[in-house]
Amino acid sequence: MSHSIWRVALCGLVIGFLYLDHARAHEIAGNRFFPATLAIDDPGVNDEMAFPTISAFKTGDDPSAKELDISGEFAKRITDDFAVSFEPTWTHISRPGGPNMNGASGFQNLETALKYRFSKNADHEFVASVGFNIEWGHSGAEAVGAEPVTSYTPTAFFGKGFGDLPDSMGWARPFAITGQIGYAFPNSRTTSIVDPDDGSIEIETNPDVLVWGGSLQYSMPYLKSSVKDLGLPDFFNHLIPIVEFSMQTPAGHTIDSGTLTTGTINPGVIWVGDKYQIGVEAVIPVNRESGKNVGVIGQLHFYLDDIFPNSIGRPLLASSAPAGRPTLGR
Amino acid sequence: MIMHRIIASLAALASLMLAMTPADAHAHLGHANPRVGSSVQTAPREVTLWFTEKLEPAFSRIEVRDASGKRVDTGKAMVDTANPVEMRIAVKPLPPGTYKVFWHVLSVDTHTTEGNFSFRVGR
Repeated sequence: MSHSIWRVALCGLVIGFLYLDHARAHEIAGNRFFPATLAIDDPGVNDEMAFPTISAFKTGDDPSAKELDISGEFAKRITDDFAVSFEPTWTHISRPGGPNMNGASGFQNLETALKYRFSKNADHEFVASVGFNIEWGHSGAEAVGAEPVTSYTPTAFFGKGFGDLPDSMGWARPFAITGQIGYAFPNSRTTSIVDPDDGSIEIETNPDVLVWGGSLQYSMPYLKSSVKDLGLPDFFNHLIPIVEFSMQTPAGHTIDSGTLTTGTINPGVIWVGDKYQIGVEAVIPVNRESGKNVGVIGQLHFYLDDIFPNSIGRPLLASSAPAGRPTLGR
Repeated sequence: MIMHRIIASLAALASLMLAMTPADAHAHLGHANPRVGSSVQTAPREVTLWFTEKLEPAFSRIEVRDASGKRVDTGKAMVDTANPVEMRIAVKPLPPGTYKVFWHVLSVDTHTTEGNFSFRVGR
């Protein structure tokens, strides 16, 4: 019984957590500042550090267990448009989770990501990039669901602000959307699982997974600086109400995983400062397999390019010329 | 117990990061006169912008254009030497209408930012 439940739990963790992208960035395109999002990645390429990101929720397993994740992420630009990031995550699963239903703690597999921004249009507040995420198999603790297989996820990202709407729709100009879609595939199609009770070996198929998500955000900083200064208290002028959604759909080799889409919808708010941001969101599972009850995620995120502009906040291969004569009045 | 230690360590590290943040960052528009998106009865003689960081005058500019796109500023934006977060530009006499302010600035930490907003003269 415990073994079969744990197998289901592992499968759920693989789909629901390991393919859940926690890497983040922030970006500026013209008037638009895209904040670092909490549940998905955004199209930005920058020097930054998210630490800590803390999430607490009840897993989609049966029986459900409380899970606490604490992660950090460090992203470093190699050039202005190309960055590499690293993200370790520590997980604590309370009873009745874990291999023996006694709970478990340990690190998830280390994740690294490469991202290249290939398009940025200031006038239309548009940004697009591509990335390649690697989750290193065997680098984490299997007790918390870390897979023994490495997975690769080529991903496309975009962000679009609506500042180019006509003045008659000024109320809508602070809106922006971001999105991502990726395809995760393992380096090994099967995983052998040893039953701790009788020592038998079962072969489980590792699926390919479509990883997709997005965000809808309303920027109060944008409203104040580009549309209408309402004279609100300064605190409110730093807020970006946001709704994110992060989904995973098994898309290939689904004989063991099934094809059910899992994920969460995360309404929340981000407070944006000059050098850091603080975000908190509710984590609402889209179905029972995605989780039980509403969880929460919070994050403190530092803009290293603003904190250390002349050292670790600069691209390793930075262009030395800071700026040319600007062209205005387009 | 372990959880408490972890949380305390995270809080300490986060506090350390916050405490060691120096003064410079991207320069964002803090506020403006005329106010962003406002309507003013009396035409202003100049447009003044206040930013969140100090500016490099040589690489910071403002332009003011009317609804047809014609420039109505006098051509040279000045960064206040005593208060380098403030930049202003004089404008020609402005008849009633809608005007758009374009700005592009370089903060002292070498970050460039840009933006625009409108204001209206008359009803």
